[in-house]
Amino acid sequence: MNTNLKISNVTKIYPGCVANDNVSLEFNSGKIYALLGENGAGKSTLVKILSGVIIPDEGKIYLNENNLNLNSPSDAKKNDIGMVFQHFNLFETLSVFENLIIDSDEQRESLREKIDLIMKKYNFPIDLDIPVLNLSAGQKQKVEIIRCLIRNPKVLIMDEPTSVLTEQETSELFLSLKKFSEEGILIIYITHKLKEVMQLCDEVAVMRRGKLVSVSEIKNENIESLANKMVGQNLKTIKKKKAKTSSDQLIKITNLNFTSEDPFETNLMDINFSVNRGECLGIAGISGNGQSELFQVLSGEIISEKKSIEFNNNYIGDLNPQERREYLMAFSPEDRLEQAAIPQMKIFENVALNNFKSSNFFNNGLINENKIKEHSKKIISDFNVNTDNIELKSQFLSGGNLQKLIIGRELITSPDLLICFNPTWGLDVGAINYIHETLIKINEQNKSIILISTDTDELLKLSDKISVIHKGKLSKIMNAEEVTSEKLGILMGGAN
Amino acid sequence: MIKIVKRDQPSKAIFFFTPVLAIFLTLVAGGLIFFILGFKPFEALKFFFIIPIADKYGFSELLLKATPLCLIAIGLSFCFKSNNWNIGAEGQLTFGAIVSGGVALLFYEQEGFYILPIVILAGAIGGMLYASIPAILKTYFNTNEILVSLMLVYVSKLILDYLVVGPWSNPEGFNFPETRQFSDSAKLPLLFEGLRIHAGIFLALAAVVISWFVFYKTYLGFQMKVSGFSLKTAKYAGYKGKKMIILVFLISGACAGLAGVGEITGPIGQLHREISPDYGFTAIIVAFLGRLHPVGIIFASLVVAITYLGAETAQIFMQIPKYTGQVFQGMILFFLLASDYLLFFKIKFIGSKK
Repeated sequence: MNTNLKISNVTKIYPGCVANDNVSLEFNSGKIYALLGENGAGKSTLVKILSGVIIPDEGKIYLNENNLNLNSPSDAKKNDIGMVFQHFNLFETLSVFENLIIDSDEQRESLREKIDLIMKKYNFPIDLDIPVLNLSAGQKQKVEIIRCLIRNPKVLIMDEPTSVLTEQETSELFLSLKKFSEEGILIIYITHKLKEVMQLCDEVAVMRRGKLVSVSEIKNENIESLANKMVGQNLKTIKKKKAKTSSDQLIKITNLNFTSEDPFETNLMDINFSVNRGECLGIAGISGNGQSELFQVLSGEIISEKKSIEFNNNYIGDLNPQERREYLMAFSPEDRLEQAAIPQMKIFENVALNNFKSSNFFNNGLINENKIKEHSKKIISDFNVNTDNIELKSQFLSGGNLQKLIIGRELITSPDLLICFNPTWGLDVGAINYIHETLIKINEQNKSIILISTDTDELLKLSDKISVIHKGKLSKIMNAEEVTSEKLGILMGGAN
Repeated sequence: MIKIVKRDQPSKAIFFFTPVLAIFLTLVAGGLIFFILGFKPFEALKFFFIIPIADKYGFSELLLKATPLCLIAIGLSFCFKSNNWNIGAEGQLTFGAIVSGGVALLFYEQEGFYILPIVILAGAIGGMLYASIPAILKTYFNTNEILVSLMLVYVSKLILDYLVVGPWSNPEGFNFPETRQFSDSAKLPLLFEGLRIHAGIFLALAAVVISWFVFYKTYLGFQMKVSGFSLKTAKYAGYKGKKMIILVFLISGACAGLAGVGEITGPIGQLHREISPDYGFTAIIVAFLGRLHPVGIIFASLVVAITYLGAETAQIFMQIPKYTGQVFQGMILFFLLASDYLLFFKIKFIGSKK
């Protein structure tokens, strides 16, 4: 039987932003649909409306011509709409089977048979009786999918399903999704990854700033055309010139370990690497594998053994970030709004966070506001921050402008080494290009970069050498030309 | 239809308007409570807020109560601004009073200009010592400063109890729970004949000026501001977090200790069981009502001081229990927190559309 899902004039307004602006879309079973857009484009809001998590301000949803009243997630389930969220909703300490039956009123035994059948049919080999916490991310996702399949859904919505998966798990997932589609389940696939859309989907709907921009067939599109629709401007591609090979070693990490008391942090085990002048070392990995801890150890937020870090022939492992800055290191953390800058403070106050001795921002314990302001104006003009008011609170800067301010603040000391962590996360393409150009320029000036990033394309574009972090361990360091994204994917998943 | 809309920018005007709104709402709610209790609301409010400060004596009493509130609240704002939740100022006040009282008793039959400064200094040191306990436990053992500082309040009160009924009680005092009277050299001078207002007010005013300077003109103030917004950022900037925690606790303890000195070396001139009507707790309300701004704290301490006086007047003239004062203090805090919602959201009235 054919399934037809229609979204008609849906609008959802949040304080300060229109998440969905009069969106209308139609889907038919037998095809896989992509819903494409940047972070904050409104995709997640739209699928949450479809799954009953959010109630729209206006608009209607029709399934096979019936107007659905989706007031809660259970309404969506009753109407045969299944959804797999980006963040899993599983009870870690319960067994797989218990997780599967928890919201079902069918008999345990008959359900077990049904689950076994599903697993056999789609080749999902999962032990039903082990606790969920022992499963890999890919297996957890399969459990979520099985939970939907038990209810024989007409519609299956996947919200950014590959963000936690390795390349191999991703291709397995795609095979399963194609099979579901052949069996008549309508698949809606939410993503911001263009390659996946091209590989998997039949039709694509692009959203930008809450509005539906286009609906088209994949065969009429290519990666560039989709990217342009998604970000709304023409992309410019940058290429990095191959760096002069230098053997002048700048930083060397030896036998560095970090054991956390916090069970939600990752321990770092026996980290060893070195970076030469003018080089960019990329560190790839799926988020949560120790990147944040590694950044903190390198920046001095976490102090380690004195001799574990040697920078410019000085042992600095026991110094705090401010002291490390005096040795000409600079840091750009991942979290712009909660760590790298304080949104409630003015631009020039945020500039004063990088307080190095020669700046004279603070003399004899007093604030030298004129000096800070003078310096801030220079950063704003040198780094193209789109404002002329340094008294503005930094929360009014866009993500891109804030990141330029932060990078500018860190680079104005002309440091020998910049350590950055996901520097372009969530930025628009214009800002990403600017940041990438800036990073390339640093290398050209014979300064070094350690780039910790979860964006493989970014790493391949900017790095001279690449290593992969998995469960707190670094892989061996590879030359960037020898590395492909497939190879990185395998290492990110923990295989060799 | 009413719709709540997020503000693009928290407005500066609203920031200083909400404390005024909170006071107004407190008056309205207070009037309502009086009405329910069977009093005429306006008359009762007049007894509560106007009669007590209508004459010179009343005004002096107002300043007398506002002085410790202001002093403690200034100290607390150092902690609160930097994300340290010291709510044990009452204990630091008590311990400061114990130490300075002890020193004053050592000099009890002596005269000399040097005595008073030593007594004052002893009070500040006592408060600092007592505040250093939660600070050190927090920095080195990761304990929660809220619990530790609060529980130490009761410890200090028991120590005081023990001292005034036991070793320090006045040998000629017929077993009343109090010490000897301090000598005149150990007392803060009164400012006017016949009024109780004493030189302690200058300590409070000095604290206001110094704190303003530290908050807005020094590196320490800047570091406190950054830590207050985000400890992660403070760590990333490389600020020495442990040092700062201990420093702000010491400052805050010193202020509370000085307030304790003012209480015992002012009009009373001895240690006894009840040296503070919970000034240390009420000052938390004062600090927030004053928006952690030194000038705001001056006004807030005056407003809150009235509730102390008003409660007494109302008890005498209208037989309303004096605990009504605490009800008013609670309402001010409640309405302040509630109206802070307006900082980030505005209420929009829009025509309903169908």
